Amino acid sequence: MAVSLSVQLGPINLAHPIINASGTMDIFALAESLGPHVLERPPVAAYVPKTITLKPRAGNLPPRIVEVTGGLINSVGLPNEGLEVFVERDLPRLLRLPCPVILSIGGTSRGEYRSLARGLREALEAVPACPARTDPGDQGTAWTSRVGLELNISCPNVESGGMAIGSDPRETQAVVAEVREEWPGLLLAKLTPNVTDITLPARAAVAAGADALVAVNTYKALALDRHTLRPYLGNVAGGLSGPAIKPLALRSIYELYEAVDVPIVGMGGVASLEDVLEFISCGATVVAVGTAVFREPLLARCFAACLAEALEERGLTLSGLLGLAHVKE
Amino acid sequence: MPTQPDDEAVCSGETAGSPEPRGARILGHVARSEVLGPFTWLTVTAPGWQEASAGQFALVQWEKSRTLLPRALSVAAQGENEVSFLIAPVGQATRELCGLREGDRVWILGPLGRGFDLPALVGEGRRTVVVAGGVGVAPFSLLLTALRDKMCSSSGSLSAGRLRPSLSPGFGVLVLLGFRDSLQLAGAEPVFRVAADLREAGFPCRVEVVTEDGSQSPAAKVTDLLGRHLLPGDRLAVCGPWEMARAVQHLCLGVEDVRAWYSLEANMACGVGSCHGCAVPLADGSFARVCHEGPVFAGEDIFGG
Repeated sequence: MAVSLSVQLGPINLAHPIINASGTMDIFALAESLGPHVLERPPVAAYVPKTITLKPRAGNLPPRIVEVTGGLINSVGLPNEGLEVFVERDLPRLLRLPCPVILSIGGTSRGEYRSLARGLREALEAVPACPARTDPGDQGTAWTSRVGLELNISCPNVESGGMAIGSDPRETQAVVAEVREEWPGLLLAKLTPNVTDITLPARAAVAAGADALVAVNTYKALALDRHTLRPYLGNVAGGLSGPAIKPLALRSIYELYEAVDVPIVGMGGVASLEDVLEFISCGATVVAVGTAVFREPLLARCFAACLAEALEERGLTLSGLLGLAHVKE
Repeated sequence: MPTQPDDEAVCSGETAGSPEPRGARILGHVARSEVLGPFTWLTVTAPGWQEASAGQFALVQWEKSRTLLPRALSVAAQGENEVSFLIAPVGQATRELCGLREGDRVWILGPLGRGFDLPALVGEGRRTVVVAGGVGVAPFSLLLTALRDKMCSSSGSLSAGRLRPSLSPGFGVLVLLGFRDSLQLAGAEPVFRVAADLREAGFPCRVEVVTEDGSQSPAAKVTDLLGRHLLPGDRLAVCGPWEMARAVQHLCLGVEDVRAWYSLEANMACGVGSCHGCAVPLADGSFARVCHEGPVFAGEDIFGG
């Protein structure tokens, strides 16, 4: 009997617990490179597109990325075409994907987050009927069972808002509360690790109505040009991701699992199937891959395909593994 | 004692006994590695390699690399289940690739990106001018091979190939290569070979080379050569350092009816349009992804009209 990989994230059912981190997979661009099978059979259990903002953003000056030992520092700066284009061009094709989607929004103020959530909700409510899912036995067709909303309150690469909100528990609570009034579906708060105690903004987000937490975004970091000995990236500092941050992220997931009672989407340097198991053991219901998909774009599919066997080998089930690291021997 | 975390990547893309799970990468192995001066010509047996168009690239990484990410390399030549790259050892990842031996395993993802628009480069009555600086010569052996294949009728062999009427031999191809020194000249070997093939097929293809240290001829830059040769109506394919590209575009603006396409380089992470890490500014103030909208861009898009 195969181990069940299906997990529940609020009202959304996922076929397996592996998704992508926002900003690391453009599934439509990927399909142009690898073929339409990527859209017909997405490598992730739920697809998380890049964070959108109310108005278009060009993004930061290049160079935007630099590899460092064990990691990648990026200062991409949320380039996107804004809510209006997203709703017209991207949302319809996202809804045609045969998997749930978790939209990601970023803003510089409470009002922007609220406007984004309202705009997306109104667009979703205007969809006459949710397109049929590939699996007719699946849950109902209400959009809330297949569309979630991630609040990116942790981007280190924007001039205002972003991380400034997520590192302040009061601001976090206020933003989540505003969005909660506009968004009836799954609401996730994406946390920054650039704080002394990540459980403070986490508790604030949950108190304000977040259904789940996403942790962690990147660690604020700096790389110098070896020749000029001046900052390498166009925006000076950036966010560190990749294997270098995995132990740091694990510790955050571990602390969050003890602090809150909502599901956690764990991420931060996940690069192997063992990493996936470790994140689940620390308390992640869902695990997101990010930087590692830059080596292998279909990595999430590979993990999902191997996960059941890895659990069986260890005599574990998915629910048995969740939080295992917290069980006192 | 607790088990130490295992660094081995789980997804090899070739799990024993099962075609699943399949990644998108190919795990190839080195068929040949040839030293060309400071560069390495690396030929990899890559089962399932899909034919690249000239100017496309692949993400390449030694299986046991110490780097996190693969590196983007222009496809320099290809065959059935085989692909070659011209590599300059500029950092850890490329030094590793230059040091590989026959049988060493290499991850390859590709072909990726948008290459040169061949019909635009060899339109009727046009002369195609290739301009390359240093390891920027990499994509042009494939470009010349593609031109050769275009020149020759599909029915005949190469030596018996007929020229298509639309490609008048009177215009042909001019290849201008610039290198830092005479050591780097060896990197031009693959281009010399294909150029000879083209001439054998009856198609005019001239290659001129300069070195910046003057070891080959009077010290000059490839843009000095271009300045002497550029004619109205020319169509250019360009690859090299950013300063060279700017200088080429400057020359182009001074001559009537010249268009140029540039293969750009940038720090790249995903290679498939996902991360926006390789973005370059365009003339209209927007950014474009080198990996997805490029790596080949029209000069007017990068530099303005």
